Amino acid sequence: MKIFITGIGGISAAGKNITEHLKSFRLMKRNAGTVSLFDTSLPYPVFEVKSPLVNKQVNKQVNKQKNEMRTLSLAMSALKEALHDAGLQKDFSAIKTGVCLGTSVASQLNDIDFYRTYRNTGAAGMAPVDRFLKGNLAEAIAKSIKANGPSVTVVNACSSGADAIGVALSWLRNGVCDIAIAGGADELNRVPLCGFGALGILSKSLCSPFDKDRSGLNLGEGAGVLILETEKSASLRGKKSALRLAGYGAAADAYHLTAPRPDGSGLESALRKSLADANITPQDVCFVNAHGTATHDNDKVEGIVIEKIFGPKIKFLSTKGYTGHTLGAAGGLEAAFTASALRECWIPASAGFVRQDENIPVKPITEQTQINGSFAVSTSLAFGGNNASIVIARNQ
Amino acid sequence: MNIAGIGIVSTRGRGIESLDIALREGWTSPKLIKSDNDQNIFYPIYSVEKETINDINLLKKIRRADRFSKMAVMAARDAVVDSGIQINDKKTDIGIILSTAFGPHVTTFRFLDDIIDYGDGSVSPTTFSHSVHNAAASYISSLLNIRGPTVTITQFASPFHQSLILAKAWLTEKRCKYVLLGCVDVCGNVMEYICNQKLRIANDGKIRPFNFSALPSSVPGEGSVFLMTSLENCQNKYCEIIPASMTNCDTIKKSDIYIIEADGMAGNETSYQDTLPVDVSIGGYAPIFGSMKIISAFHCAAGALMIKKQIKYACPVQENPYDLNVITKTESSKIERICCIRKNCADKTDIIRLIR
Repeated sequence: MKIFITGIGGISAAGKNITEHLKSFRLMKRNAGTVSLFDTSLPYPVFEVKSPLVNKQVNKQVNKQKNEMRTLSLAMSALKEALHDAGLQKDFSAIKTGVCLGTSVASQLNDIDFYRTYRNTGAAGMAPVDRFLKGNLAEAIAKSIKANGPSVTVVNACSSGADAIGVALSWLRNGVCDIAIAGGADELNRVPLCGFGALGILSKSLCSPFDKDRSGLNLGEGAGVLILETEKSASLRGKKSALRLAGYGAAADAYHLTAPRPDGSGLESALRKSLADANITPQDVCFVNAHGTATHDNDKVEGIVIEKIFGPKIKFLSTKGYTGHTLGAAGGLEAAFTASALRECWIPASAGFVRQDENIPVKPITEQTQINGSFAVSTSLAFGGNNASIVIARNQ
Repeated sequence: MNIAGIGIVSTRGRGIESLDIALREGWTSPKLIKSDNDQNIFYPIYSVEKETINDINLLKKIRRADRFSKMAVMAARDAVVDSGIQINDKKTDIGIILSTAFGPHVTTFRFLDDIIDYGDGSVSPTTFSHSVHNAAASYISSLLNIRGPTVTITQFASPFHQSLILAKAWLTEKRCKYVLLGCVDVCGNVMEYICNQKLRIANDGKIRPFNFSALPSSVPGEGSVFLMTSLENCQNKYCEIIPASMTNCDTIKKSDIYIIEADGMAGNETSYQDTLPVDVSIGGYAPIFGSMKIISAFHCAAGALMIKKQIKYACPVQENPYDLNVITKTESSKIERICCIRKNCADKTDIIRLIR
């Protein structure tokens, strides 16, 4: 069964829609800066979304006018663009529609002020709790568009967005729904900033994925949403699409809570499964949009596996140099970028890369590059040893 | 999709035998814990005892795990063992789906303690990595060397039901041969406080599944249930399990037992009345486990056990103002089909059919 990608939406520090992202990629713009969303003593640069589409009160984590979590605002922005691209209205009550979105921050009740007040007094107001209870990402989006199919929020840490797309693919193939809204969203938040800082994997300079001197990741925020649709559904409403979601593979490392399996066998398994799922060989893939966080371990393992599967001449890149690591949104955003690149027939330079690491047998592309193939792969690796790979195809 | 094995960690113990014993024994009063705010106030809770998850052999491999992960690991491991399925060393053909409503929030609050007490730059990386929702699934995959797809999902309306739908899809498209699917939620002090603010707590510790109240009473609970599922007819098969929606009333009438999942956690329960056929036996076992967003998993485990043992268990709390055919006695019974029904907090009806 063919599953079409009929709509794409994305928002991050690199742009408030896909067109702006492509412009930033062409110009190699890297909109990082210091944290303005909350107070912190940590010195790490971040990629914040400055778009008024998200939140008019830029310095607040919460859209108080709507009593809405920032993550939800980001997701709504990407969804709006994707729906427009797909030619769909914001009312799905008559269509069997599923919503599967990945996140990390929106799944946690981590309001520091609420908790501090509770801790100090033994009581606290329920507004942050209400916001949390109304803010389950998939449930909130499903409610907003009156979706009547399944809704699931995937919380697989940094592979959440990619895994959410994989879940949606399974739904569509099994007739659970006819249209699926899939991807991921995450806001920049003090809690993961502190956590990643404690893990020692944040860089004090702009991140440089796959570079010899890479020193860690920069956190970002954003949302990436795909509208996925069965061939029959798209055909019935006369929607043509140049793209389809061809395959998904996932595998667990079964190794460590925070470190990838050194031999990369989990990622390799996920990649091979996704290629098999798409019924293609590695030679059919024209580029790989790698997870490429710019941490020492991730990039080393990922580079080795990419070379092992696709060979030394494969074109690959990381877009995290433009967006930062958007955690639960990353898989969704990068799927949106991968799809857009296939549609546009070019991929951007992998921002931040300068010198090849002798421990990584391949190097990412360093300039905007034309592509001609029909298949592209986007990989995601995560805390907990999750590995995910999705294959996107250009319709022949 | 067949249930080949069950693992359970609840307030009444660990393992399928503990479930059988709990269902036979019926209702017991919940534990009372002191409020953080007022030492004279006590909240009822069906908590999991420390001893229940004090498995040294398993714990030495997951020493750093929090209660959330420990409960999940133990239920998951027991489900695999209970299934008796011979699995190859490198288990790439097993998938894991873990669902939760609130995740490891106790650990999240512990991490917030770090931020508040020590500042942004002096927090514990271990606490942070355990506050991530998928830490439990990671421990399960590591401990059992399961290397198939692993997904952790969070949902408030119907987390278990959604995981069943996905498991069925994975098995049907042969993404995996087996899916180890389960639920876990914990209840710490902050959640207990929130429950007391948001819900009506049963002061006598009794959840009343058949009162169908607009403002039902609840008693917060915690625990974990895992099911080993497969399309194959496995040696230790309990029953077939099918997630469905409330669109076909004929299907419901064919069931021998109808398990009402009302537990006070999903708000107004009056609409259960509209759903119930009059000619079937009615069960409801939430008073044993406590109120949880994941209560469906506990009910399915109970239902699967009833089908396997061909025993219907007396309801633990039998208040029956609507004169339903509530099961009042534990006895042998021919049971072919059970229908579990839950009105969720999104005003939808989830149905899970269990078929012998």
